[in-house]
Amino acid sequence: MENWNDFWLFALPAVVCWTVASLLSLRGKGQKLVYLSAIGGLLIFGAYIALMWISLERPPLRTMGETRLWYSFFLPLVGLVTYSRWRYRWILLFSTMLSTVFICVNLFKPEIHSKMLMPALQSPWFAPHVIVYMFAYATTGAAMLMSLWQLIRRQNLLDAIDGLTRVGLSFLTVGMLFGALWAKEAWGTYWSWDPKETWAAATWLCYLIYLHLRIGRPAAVRPALLWQVICFLCLQMCWWGINYLPAAQGASAHTYS
Amino acid sequence: MTVGGYVCCGLAGAGMLLQVVAGPVRWGMMAWPVNGIVLAVLLLSVVAMHLCRSRVRLFRWMATLQAGIPALVACAMMTVLMGVTRQVPSGHVPMEPIGITAMLSFWPFVLLYVWLMALVGMVCMTRLTRPAWRNVPFLLNHLGIFIALVCGTLGNADMQRLHMMVREGTTEWRAVDELHRVKELPVAIELHDFFIEEAPLRYLSDVTVYTKKGLVLRDTLRVNKPLAVRGWKIYQYGYDESKGAESDISIFELVRDPWLPFVYLGIFMMLAGAGCLFLQSGTLRKKEQRQNEMPSERNVEISK
Repeated sequence: MENWNDFWLFALPAVVCWTVASLLSLRGKGQKLVYLSAIGGLLIFGAYIALMWISLERPPLRTMGETRLWYSFFLPLVGLVTYSRWRYRWILLFSTMLSTVFICVNLFKPEIHSKMLMPALQSPWFAPHVIVYMFAYATTGAAMLMSLWQLIRRQNLLDAIDGLTRVGLSFLTVGMLFGALWAKEAWGTYWSWDPKETWAAATWLCYLIYLHLRIGRPAAVRPALLWQVICFLCLQMCWWGINYLPAAQGASAHTYS
Repeated sequence: MTVGGYVCCGLAGAGMLLQVVAGPVRWGMMAWPVNGIVLAVLLLSVVAMHLCRSRVRLFRWMATLQAGIPALVACAMMTVLMGVTRQVPSGHVPMEPIGITAMLSFWPFVLLYVWLMALVGMVCMTRLTRPAWRNVPFLLNHLGIFIALVCGTLGNADMQRLHMMVREGTTEWRAVDELHRVKELPVAIELHDFFIEEAPLRYLSDVTVYTKKGLVLRDTLRVNKPLAVRGWKIYQYGYDESKGAESDISIFELVRDPWLPFVYLGIFMMLAGAGCLFLQSGTLRKKEQRQNEMPSERNVEISK
């Protein structure tokens, strides 16, 4: 039986692996070791998610704590993919640091939860809907961090930011549409503008604006980078902000945590 | 882009005026055939504007990002506004004088989204009239959202969700809507038997469904296994809970959403479009930039 008490047993070695990979890539040494170490960390962390899945008898996707688990997993994964494609030496350190923040939140403020998934969530759509969204969050999160880096350090990372945003937007779109198809099946309407859906639409529009801005005004780099930050704030609102938003209280079908 | 911003401000202003004069948008009036006419008018005006684009600068401009980006920003702002205000349930009157608590019926919101969709329609026309394989991802995304959003919005008024209560051994063709109004349907249901399988707590109805055109269907209905008859979907919904397993009454939900196939078409186009976006995420940028800068340059030449 796997539970949150054992989390640190997996999280700690995973973070150590990712940190080793980050430091090696930062020094530009031992390419093979970088990959080995980063993938090792992913395997360890992935194993914990898999064991949780088995012991909970449902995908661990229902509470904020559980979704943070996926976020901590996908961030280093996106970091590694970005690294293998664009060779930014610091990206692994970045994604590791952010992932560690989420791991620490889970370690020190675990949200313990009941075992049963509520009936509305017992659907084959549930896992793809949330996993796709978590991947999109991780990708766009990486794009936002790179935007901040470029704003501060003036290193040109636009190609990677654009690429990650495109990947992120495509996953946001798929997650949103899976949600619509699922809602149609479960409640008879594909879109009911509940607060989570409204913020998902706003976030989606914001990333669309970024994409169109980059195409229409490729020279306007600084506004685009600042816009990335706004997009990400919108995304945070959609992800967990609405739980604290007075206007959304009691009005959303998406507050399960 | 400034012009685009002014247009959006103008639309928002005009919307406010309409809101004050005419009150919130009455979506109920959109029921067939009104929504069909509105759709025809929308499509015809998009085609007409596209055909007149060489003479009218505005129409040419509508298919550019200079018009599109401000429209996207305006719609995003309205959506955020909706996100931070408490909304009344659909069909209710707003709880403050401006109308933003019933955002979906708020004229500025509606007009800005209509404007955005008009622009999307225009830009689709420019690609549709120059068919090429490289336009496919673009059209999947843009035409997809156009179809899904326009048909979803216009079709909403045609969606019917009724509840029908049938006693064992009888045939029923009347149902009630959400406001408890009785409706006569072109579909009738005869309930032969209703029973509850105690072990898995499943309840089933043995029924025969008749339609006005003489179609007869015998089937067993249960939760998550609806029956589709002549545009209606019949769901097992409930039973007389006071009698439990002894209930001789079965309650069905009948849903009709004639625009749904179009909305699904749009949704699946968008899904395919998202797949294209993902696959091309690394290579698309420069090509897209070239493609998009060309028409605007040509436009400048024409307008000179």
